[in-house]
Amino acid sequence: MSGATSDGLEARGGTATRLPSDGTQAEVLLDVRDLSVVYESAGQTAVQAVDHVSFQLRKGEFVGLVGESGSGKSTLGYALTRLQKPPARTNGGNIVFGGADIRDLDDEALRQQRQGGFAMVLQSGMNALNPVRTIRNHFIDVFKAHGHVPRERWDARMRELIGKVKLPETMLARYPGELSGGMRQRVSIALALSLEPQLMVFDEPTTALDVLVQHAVMDTIIELQRSEGFTAILISHDLGIVLEATERVLVMHEGRIVEDGRSLEVLRDPQDEYTKMLLSHYADPRAEVVSLPGFPDRTQRSVSRQETTSSFATVGSRERSAARNPIVVDHLVKTYPAPRRGEQPVQAVRDVSFTLEPGQSLALVGQSGSGKSTIAKMLTGVEQPTSGTVRFGDTDVAKLGRRGLKDLRSEVQMVFQDPYAALNPLHTVEYILSRPIANYTGLRGRDARRRMLEILETVGLTPVEQFAQKLPHQLSGGQRQRVVIARALASDPQVIIADEPVSMLDVTLRAGVLALLEDLREQWGVSLLYITHDLLSARLITDDIMVLHDGAVVERGRTAEVLQHPQDDYTVALLDAVPNPRRTLLA
Amino acid sequence: MTDNATVAVRTQDKQQDQGDQQAPSKLRSAGRQFGVVWSNTKARIGLCILGTFVLIALFAPLLAPYGGSQNGFARNADASWAHWMGTTAAGEDVLSQLIYGARVSVLVGAVAGLLSTLVAVAIGLSWGYIRGWIAEVIGFIVNLFLVIPGLPLMIVIAAYLQNGGIAVIIAVIVVTGWAWGARVLRSQTQSLRSRDFVTAAQFSGDGATRIVFREILPNMTSLIVGSFFGAATSAILAEAGLEFLGLGDSSIVSWGTILYWAQNSNALLTGQWILLFAPGLCIALLAMSLTLINFGVDAVSNPRLREGARRKRKEVTA
Repeated sequence: MSGATSDGLEARGGTATRLPSDGTQAEVLLDVRDLSVVYESAGQTAVQAVDHVSFQLRKGEFVGLVGESGSGKSTLGYALTRLQKPPARTNGGNIVFGGADIRDLDDEALRQQRQGGFAMVLQSGMNALNPVRTIRNHFIDVFKAHGHVPRERWDARMRELIGKVKLPETMLARYPGELSGGMRQRVSIALALSLEPQLMVFDEPTTALDVLVQHAVMDTIIELQRSEGFTAILISHDLGIVLEATERVLVMHEGRIVEDGRSLEVLRDPQDEYTKMLLSHYADPRAEVVSLPGFPDRTQRSVSRQETTSSFATVGSRERSAARNPIVVDHLVKTYPAPRRGEQPVQAVRDVSFTLEPGQSLALVGQSGSGKSTIAKMLTGVEQPTSGTVRFGDTDVAKLGRRGLKDLRSEVQMVFQDPYAALNPLHTVEYILSRPIANYTGLRGRDARRRMLEILETVGLTPVEQFAQKLPHQLSGGQRQRVVIARALASDPQVIIADEPVSMLDVTLRAGVLALLEDLREQWGVSLLYITHDLLSARLITDDIMVLHDGAVVERGRTAEVLQHPQDDYTVALLDAVPNPRRTLLA
Repeated sequence: MTDNATVAVRTQDKQQDQGDQQAPSKLRSAGRQFGVVWSNTKARIGLCILGTFVLIALFAPLLAPYGGSQNGFARNADASWAHWMGTTAAGEDVLSQLIYGARVSVLVGAVAGLLSTLVAVAIGLSWGYIRGWIAEVIGFIVNLFLVIPGLPLMIVIAAYLQNGGIAVIIAVIVVTGWAWGARVLRSQTQSLRSRDFVTAAQFSGDGATRIVFREILPNMTSLIVGSFFGAATSAILAEAGLEFLGLGDSSIVSWGTILYWAQNSNALLTGQWILLFAPGLCIALLAMSLTLINFGVDAVSNPRLREGARRKRKEVTA
């Protein structure tokens, strides 16, 4: 057990040299020359995931490795720690770590190296703890495997390590299941640290965690790196996080490193077009004027985006008039029974009331567990409220039978969070879209098909004939989410509830999907309930906002006003969690 | 589309789509799945063995030197050029019996396996999708079939329907053999029904039947195929067992009846061990071939098991 891979070419001295901030030459710890990694699986064309990458790491450096999904950043991280598995194969170059090429190591040498050499902390590291063994036992496993800590010092060392990652000592006696995700990730960092690595590779260490926890764990990593002095690589899809945390940034794009420079310089004066493009997608939701590529600021907009997005010619094809019925939520409460005996029942939603007016765009923000998705489920009749009512026009949603639910869903549609899970992998786009058309519009045959193609065009998937024939795995994440939105539009609904529609997408794809939602609201006149933890996107596409904390509304108002002048501490905490390199570095 | 950045965003979005891959036809994707099974060494051996037995069963009249129930040869003869495996106590050619016997085993395996898989799919999927008291009732019935010991139940039923021929044997095997498959398919259905795409289908207005058979079922094809091979294996074994116990129609020629008659005529005491050994080996080989194929079917649903993706021993934990 250990997320830790390490390598014992040299005994680690207690004092690692820190890179002086003026950049004077320190000893080179890792030297990667012309490294290439290829994915080869039988019957498929080989994919060159890492393509002739060269860089050097000096002792004590903290370097960020940034790229979008598919850029090869994780593949590179796995290659550096020799954790890669077939079908990935290194097909060129050298990785010299502390003077020796780690590609030559055999399995046993590699195992021994995992102490005092290189370690890796994975995104899913928190799920790699053995659920039936206490945290103490996990440490003992590592100590036994490497024998680098004398038995009588085990206890002291454990307490020291667990303290370093800011956990109380009592955690040692707990089982992984009793710890939260953030705590488990801290434990896996402590386990990696226990091997006293010279090089730590963090692969998206906070991505699977909740927004607010992400920040705290990241801070711990930064502090640890400063106090322990190990060399570290932080792999992330989020340029914002990396720029905030590290001294130097490598930007990867399609298997190559396109930018390599000090964080501040990259932020001030990016050289590569791709880096510039990535940077343009960050903004501060608190600012007076917020704009992203494709999004002029809402408050500054005198005319709607209609004029700027003539591409949506077919948007006018909406047959019915705009949304007519409001959704009225009155003193809504949802309580789930206690998960275990002797525990309190879970109050997911406490006394929430609001009205979604026809054509309004309302953001519902909060971290996970704040009850925002539960509200969405009650609005669509998936869950029954414990008390309170949800009314859509004249109908009481909680009292609907199967027939009534079907009618409701032709008017109130959902856009799901994960475009990879929301589309059946075995059906073509055409089939997926044809179902709601057949079920709700009554169109058949050629008419139905024409409608399907129109909707595809509306969401910008052209040429439509080609996209209609595709299976989900042939589409990118952004394209899939467009298909999900298209399916929601097929029944010509009045209300769209979008549950974190962009949180699984790369930063650069988000703007496109958000722009689509915005256009649909303005031109189709649908009401939009936008559920998110990401305040920047809420600022971009909504007029009004409600902040949820532990199931209760803590703040509500116009989006721009609430975000510029937050009243509640929780709103402030959420605002601080939005990564924004300009704020931290240039302030 | 005046906004340049939006255009940039959208074109970038499109670039990710690689070339002009069209949706592969059903036939091609089935061919690819077969390729995955075939690329597994164990499955390849299994398919070869199974193929041989199927060919033998199909072309039995051409391959067998004599008729299956043709008697009148010397009794209890040892192996000779005329009779490669000797003759039985009733004066039949053993090799011919073995070849004709393959027909019954292959037939029973295929038909009983198919039928009990169909029952398992129908019950397992609806059981997994339905919630509430009906699911409890189905669960009770399935559990009942699971806890009743299979062979004694089979014997009781077969004894009741004495001498009904192969059809009765198949019916008995199906009645006693569907429960395990139903249980496995139910748990997979339960895990699939909580996926977003099932909720999405509900939002698209699809009914329960359509969701179960168009959304959920195609996603567990490999599990169903696997459960078919499992069911066929136990059907072949059960058929041979029932025949051996004399509960089937002992006048037909099958591997089970060869064993039954060999046992009756004390073949082992007369030194004709081949009478017991040959059909026993055939039963074992046929059952094994199906089990081996299942290794390959597993690889279809779990790419990690595919050969070539053989992992080195490394700790991949964190």
